[in-house]
Amino acid sequence: MDKVGVITSFIHNIVVYNIPLLYGTVGEIMVEKSGSLNLGVEGTMAVGAIFGYIFGCYANSLGLGIVSAFLLGALCGLLFAVLTVSFQANQNITGLTLTTFGLGIYFFVGNGLKASGWPAMNDYENVKEGFEEISIPLLSKIPVVGEGLFSHNIFVYLGILIAIAMWWYLKHTPMGLRLRAVGENPGAADSVGINVKLMKYIHICIGCGIMGIGGYYMALNMSGSFNSSCWINGYGWIAVALVIFANWSPAVAILGTFVFGFFNTLRASGTSLANAFPEALGWLADIPTQLYQALPFIITAIVLVVTSIRNKRGSSGLPAALGLNYFREER
Amino acid sequence: MGFHFVKRDNCPLWKRCLFYLIAVVAALGIGALVLLSIGVDPFEYYYQMFTMGTVNNRIAYKTFMNYFKELVPLVLTSVALSLAFKMRFWNIGGEGQFIVGAISAAFVAFKLGPVMPMWLTLVVMCLAAMIVAGLYGLLAGFLKVRFGTNETLMTLMLNYIALYILFFIGETKADWNFFLSENSARPVFKSFTDLASFTSIPMGEKFELNICVVLTVVIGALIFVYLRHTKQGYEISVVGDSMGTAKYAGMKVNWIILRTVFLSAALIGLAAAFKVGTAGVLSTSITNDVGWTGIIVAWLAQLNTVMIFVVSMLICVLQHGSTVAAATFGQVDSSFANMLQGIILFLVLAADFFIRFRIVIVKKGGSNNG
Repeated sequence: MDKVGVITSFIHNIVVYNIPLLYGTVGEIMVEKSGSLNLGVEGTMAVGAIFGYIFGCYANSLGLGIVSAFLLGALCGLLFAVLTVSFQANQNITGLTLTTFGLGIYFFVGNGLKASGWPAMNDYENVKEGFEEISIPLLSKIPVVGEGLFSHNIFVYLGILIAIAMWWYLKHTPMGLRLRAVGENPGAADSVGINVKLMKYIHICIGCGIMGIGGYYMALNMSGSFNSSCWINGYGWIAVALVIFANWSPAVAILGTFVFGFFNTLRASGTSLANAFPEALGWLADIPTQLYQALPFIITAIVLVVTSIRNKRGSSGLPAALGLNYFREER
Repeated sequence: MGFHFVKRDNCPLWKRCLFYLIAVVAALGIGALVLLSIGVDPFEYYYQMFTMGTVNNRIAYKTFMNYFKELVPLVLTSVALSLAFKMRFWNIGGEGQFIVGAISAAFVAFKLGPVMPMWLTLVVMCLAAMIVAGLYGLLAGFLKVRFGTNETLMTLMLNYIALYILFFIGETKADWNFFLSENSARPVFKSFTDLASFTSIPMGEKFELNICVVLTVVIGALIFVYLRHTKQGYEISVVGDSMGTAKYAGMKVNWIILRTVFLSAALIGLAAAFKVGTAGVLSTSITNDVGWTGIIVAWLAQLNTVMIFVVSMLICVLQHGSTVAAATFGQVDSSFANMLQGIILFLVLAADFFIRFRIVIVKKGGSNNG
């Protein structure tokens, strides 16, 4: 491959393989802004992935796949909301169990279906075609970066759109303001007439639905081939980390996705970069791949410590009531 | 008419047991419906699962020996986690602490095993695993105490950092890497069974009880006494109930947190040493997810040490039994156990609510003054 081509495909891969992270992250930001820490991202994405893929294939429609991934993800959110918001269950425990449960469903359904006949993505024209790349006119003609940034499947554009819409929603709409109030101080929000429970329910469900779409995207990225390792493969946990890195801002999350994605992609494309530029980037081939895999978590750990040291009131996007259940009578 | 929830002061024991029983039975019922929907007889499946296929099985003793191998790390990890949870320190870093403990134990086995008697090697393995795992946990504890860093998220990150260190060791073929077998071109962990291996006590004709099982029961009893009847145990529950009260009572809260987190993580390290010392080899899936399952177990058991033993035994039956049953029922994947485990905990969490709260029916307009 020519040198420019290597760079272009490197940029392209950063976007394609890491936008699922953005879905998980933006979904989790919405959930956390309502004051709920949902550690079930991995499980929710897995549930969205498996059902989105199966329904999408059976209906031979990408749109239906997206809708069912969203709905199944939202259903996981509903489960989480019923237990933590209505039943006052501990959020850490509920979220972690949601992950165990979701991955259980994923493998149960997947392995069960594999025994009787797995739907192959290539057999379903509409799904396959719907997932093909759409080039944005003009922009995609920019040398080097055009092909890398502006020629992608529908999920990439949708993901960026959701992130921007979410940023707008949280920052500039009355509902967004109310949501943030619920996450900061549910007691105060309740006293000014905001329906705290309803707000939490709605946003947990929508947030989890968005994660579900991200899971479906990952399934399609893997061309729907089902094997012993999960499609989500830890991305849900990286998303939890990315929320912190992005300081609970969906706009920063886009940037964060590319930062994390950069290292993620170096793992896969490091060798081809090293081969294309032996003098400048030859050292890339010597770095163990596990370091790239660990980097998102190392970076987040550092970010966590640094932000907690600075910890100026107001400078952090961390919702003050994160992880705490709200019970009216206890106010 | 409307209704709202009021906290109950005390729920009688029989009522509590009844609620939990209903939850577990309902969970098994949901599981049965799932099985029915794919055309499997739930009674036959559950029979296979709960007996772990040991009925009319000539090598049933092997099943039980394997069962105990899985049980020991789970019990110890759950007990360890319950210590931290009692203090409301959310140590979800069990996986990571287990991994660094396992690596340290294996390190000792390889480096000191050849020059020391086996019993001493095993003791040093346990100590090394406890210290390293304890320090790994203490890192999150220190950051929490010093800077207020969120321990849930921090221990979560540390899990994955440890996991990739283990992957690095397991996948890198190099001269320095004594963890891997020299005889294989592919990276494969080297066995050290001849250097360090926990002995078993022969019982009956064929069954052998691994010494780790006995040690685990002893440690469990010690922790039970520690939590119930010592000053330190009392301090843990006061800090867990109310940080303010503890401070006002003149307790050194930070010191208590650090001490308990170290103990919690060190016990998980010990669990890892037991596991590694029994298996005689590292593996990238050495934890068998006990760091995660342990959280579920500790919570299901309401952080009660005795209950942790009971619940772990049940969860282990689910997990081991589903693997055994998968041999007979090809269409039911062994992940059924994880699903069922999830449903059980969800319903128990719901039952918890009705134990802590009672529903009060109120006339219209009466519910606004809460």
